Amino acid sequence: MIKDNNLLHIFYSFSRSLLFFIFLFYLINLQISLSLFSLFETATPNLISIILYICIKRLGINPSNTIMFFIGFFHDVMIGNNLAITSIFLILFKFLSETVILDKNNQEEWISFTIIFISSFVIIFILNSIINLSIPELTPIFFHIGITLILFPIINMSMHFFNFVTRLIKG
Amino acid sequence: MVSGKPSNTKSFKGVKNFNFLLILLCLILVFLGKLDLIAIRNIKGFLSDFLAPVTYAFNKPVKEMVGVFEDVKSAGSLREENIRLKSEVRKLRVINSKASSQELELLELRELLKVLPEKKSQIITGRAITAPGGIFANTVLINAGKDYGVKIGQPAISSLGLVGYVVNVSLKTSRILLIIDINSMIPVYLTSSNWPAVVQGQSGKLLKIKFLSTKAKPVEGEVVQTSGHGGRLPSGINVGKIVKSFSGKYYVKPTVEFQRLTYISIIINKKPENVYSTTFHGFAPLQKPEQSIKLKGLNLSGKRIIESTED
Repeated sequence: MIKDNNLLHIFYSFSRSLLFFIFLFYLINLQISLSLFSLFETATPNLISIILYICIKRLGINPSNTIMFFIGFFHDVMIGNNLAITSIFLILFKFLSETVILDKNNQEEWISFTIIFISSFVIIFILNSIINLSIPELTPIFFHIGITLILFPIINMSMHFFNFVTRLIKG
Repeated sequence: MVSGKPSNTKSFKGVKNFNFLLILLCLILVFLGKLDLIAIRNIKGFLSDFLAPVTYAFNKPVKEMVGVFEDVKSAGSLREENIRLKSEVRKLRVINSKASSQELELLELRELLKVLPEKKSQIITGRAITAPGGIFANTVLINAGKDYGVKIGQPAISSLGLVGYVVNVSLKTSRILLIIDINSMIPVYLTSSNWPAVVQGQSGKLLKIKFLSTKAKPVEGEVVQTSGHGGRLPSGINVGKIVKSFSGKYYVKPTVEFQRLTYISIIINKKPENVYSTTFHGFAPLQKPEQSIKLKGLNLSGKRIIESTED
């Protein structure tokens, strides 16, 4: 009986992880295809980091590093990036999101996201520059960081609004 | 697995070690990927083949949405667009008539000079599966691979000019490194002054000009084409136009709009085997032009037709 319960638990956590993996995979595809819009011609926002941050901080969902590794790996294969660069970014981002804790104020949340995102991005940027032995044009990079930081409060607020509406309907 | 924080210190240490191992694995993969080993290339190719349909399916709704937005945007400016197109057609007609006479002259001159005929290359066109959405990498995956005779190094073009060249080929797909990528270097020449140079991508919108002679004086708007040096790319493919930055430096602005790439052609030097002969049955041959000209009131032999009128 206990064994069955263990098996069920494993099956439950595995299916949950699989669902989360599929969700993140879809999100990363969406992020890539956003470049088709003329607004994001220069660079696309880093949607996955925003959602990941909200999942970890607000919803209490803590995805494993293995999922992060595979999502990053597949992303790199799809866009032809240096292999596992995105994996490092996602693992670093997740690690920093768990360790950097500021007050739960909205403004503080934005600041903490900014610190976490920029620090993990800078590490990746340096690693990429070392591998390619050259520094890329900075305009798309600044645009990428800027648009992600602008989008974060918008997504955050829309989630707040969504929560408020659902509570209102339920209540 | 999606889980909460570890409960005891032992498992916490285990997780820490595992994370450290993952980061180490990532770093090893980064450097192995850069070494461009055949095994890594094959794995990448296999995964690209495997993920291509999934990526295409996921991208489809966004592509459709973009199409709708574009349609709505263009509907507002239809009148202006029509006027612009009409004037463009008039200009093109004039250019066309000039070009046809110049073409004849060119052919005669070639014959007089006994110029060696250029090797005719074949073209294969594929659909772009992914959008070039990376910050550090600018590549596009297309749905034509080894099956269609695509090989590493072959140039990829669109109707506007050079897109890039093939860097990885698998059975069903191939990856094209765009000319704006930081790893791309293309030998070119400035068409007005004939000075050779090399253009390098910067992962941005403009290309850096390298190895241009100090004697060269580039002109803004000057067309830049591939020089064919090195023998990998054919000469005469449009790359872009010279633009001057605020700092006074010259750059090349590519003619191709990389975000709007839907179909990409690859210049293959060899005729693809078993492609057209087995799967493609071809279009119907063009109709032969009619030998005689029919004029109103005259029959085929040129005699007048007498029509009987009935009241």
